[in-house]
Amino acid sequence: MKTSVLLICTVTALSAATALAAFTRGGNAYTKRVETVLRAEPRSLSETVARLGYARTVRIEEVRGPWLRVRDGDQSGWVFGGNLAEEPPSETRGLDGLPLEASKTTATAAARPLTPAAKDYAERKGATNAEADLEWLGAQSTAVTPEDVQAFLEAEKKGEFQ
Amino acid sequence: MTTTRIATTVLLAAVVLGGTPLHAQFNLGKLRETVDQAKAAAAKAKEAADSAAKIAKGVAGIGVEEEYVIGDSVAVEVVSRHGGVVRDEAIQRRVNLIGKALAYYSSRPGIDWRFGVLASDSVNAFSAPGGFVFITRGLYELVDDNDNDDALAAVLAHEIAHITERHALKIIERGELLSGAGDFAQRSSDLRRTDAELRQFDLSVEEIISTLFEKGFDPQTEYAADLKGRELAVTTGYAPGALRKVLTRLQQRSGDPKAVFSTHPPLAERIRRLPADG
Repeated sequence: MKTSVLLICTVTALSAATALAAFTRGGNAYTKRVETVLRAEPRSLSETVARLGYARTVRIEEVRGPWLRVRDGDQSGWVFGGNLAEEPPSETRGLDGLPLEASKTTATAAARPLTPAAKDYAERKGATNAEADLEWLGAQSTAVTPEDVQAFLEAEKKGEFQ
Repeated sequence: MTTTRIATTVLLAAVVLGGTPLHAQFNLGKLRETVDQAKAAAAKAKEAADSAAKIAKGVAGIGVEEEYVIGDSVAVEVVSRHGGVVRDEAIQRRVNLIGKALAYYSSRPGIDWRFGVLASDSVNAFSAPGGFVFITRGLYELVDDNDNDDALAAVLAHEIAHITERHALKIIERGELLSGAGDFAQRSSDLRRTDAELRQFDLSVEEIISTLFEKGFDPQTEYAADLKGRELAVTTGYAPGALRKVLTRLQQRSGDPKAVFSTHPPLAERIRRLPADG
């Protein structure tokens, strides 16, 4: 039984490591969220040792399966590889001063209606039914909140909860 | 034409209307409503024209707000051509949970990701810039396994990759379209320029639609989306072999004209190019 469990763990780790092959020891990675948590151990519920801002460049010091030990100046810790990007993210900033894309990663992001130009496009093309469908779909999608996604990842043992 | 100029023109037109009855001419509420409508129309026209103007310049990079304008319009066409969306909250919630879980670990977690099942029995999936991912009911049923979400995740991850890699926007950025319309726009007066740019905007949307529905992305772009999508699905925790299984399942149905991604490269070649370990 123990062997089976170990084998499954190894296979999972190898699979995730294959997917994260672009991250290598000594290379760089980039934060892509408003806040990226670094942990004391390569586990999702381990103690938080640092919090990094958006678009920080971090040095990869160690790779352990899907987890990376990274450093940004004097801050160092473990982060799930899926929480970092291989390329620097867009720095386009919105009216609030936050990067446009990163600001949407917060739980408070409101539903975005179809852009006026797209509504106008739908009217010009006689596609108002499609417009109504997309507004309905937008509401369905917004109903799935960031908290729902985190709960789903944890319940399904996905992402950093694997 | 600026918002102010358009609003002023409509305001003047409202005041100068000779045949309008006196009580209507001095109906302040109505006048305000007219001005508000004019401002809204001008704002819409300006938004589309600004986006089109940026496209016309051969943009170094289309920003996220322009991407939403283009992507929303492409999404209108996708939904319009596939019988609308399936109005089943449970199905749409499942697709959005899995899709958003994948998107969370993508290189663009912050855009407005929206996932939907189209009411079409064809077997295909589409993406639109800005975060719209669609799967037809035909494909959804084909990948709807009872015991896991791996196959569905593999399909969604492939479409997510098209968006994170900005494949559709690159068609515009490469300047593969609209040179004639661009010249026309530059020569025109302000008012005609707005018309021309709106026309150009429509053509931009139609070019992406043509790629999605008729020409398809070039094979290298599809292979890249296969690899990037597979990588994302595995990072998120879905089975490495899921995309191969989906493609094989589709291949086995190849006698049925609805069975394959008609706008994608041959399935055998896509399968051959996947990593050996899944």
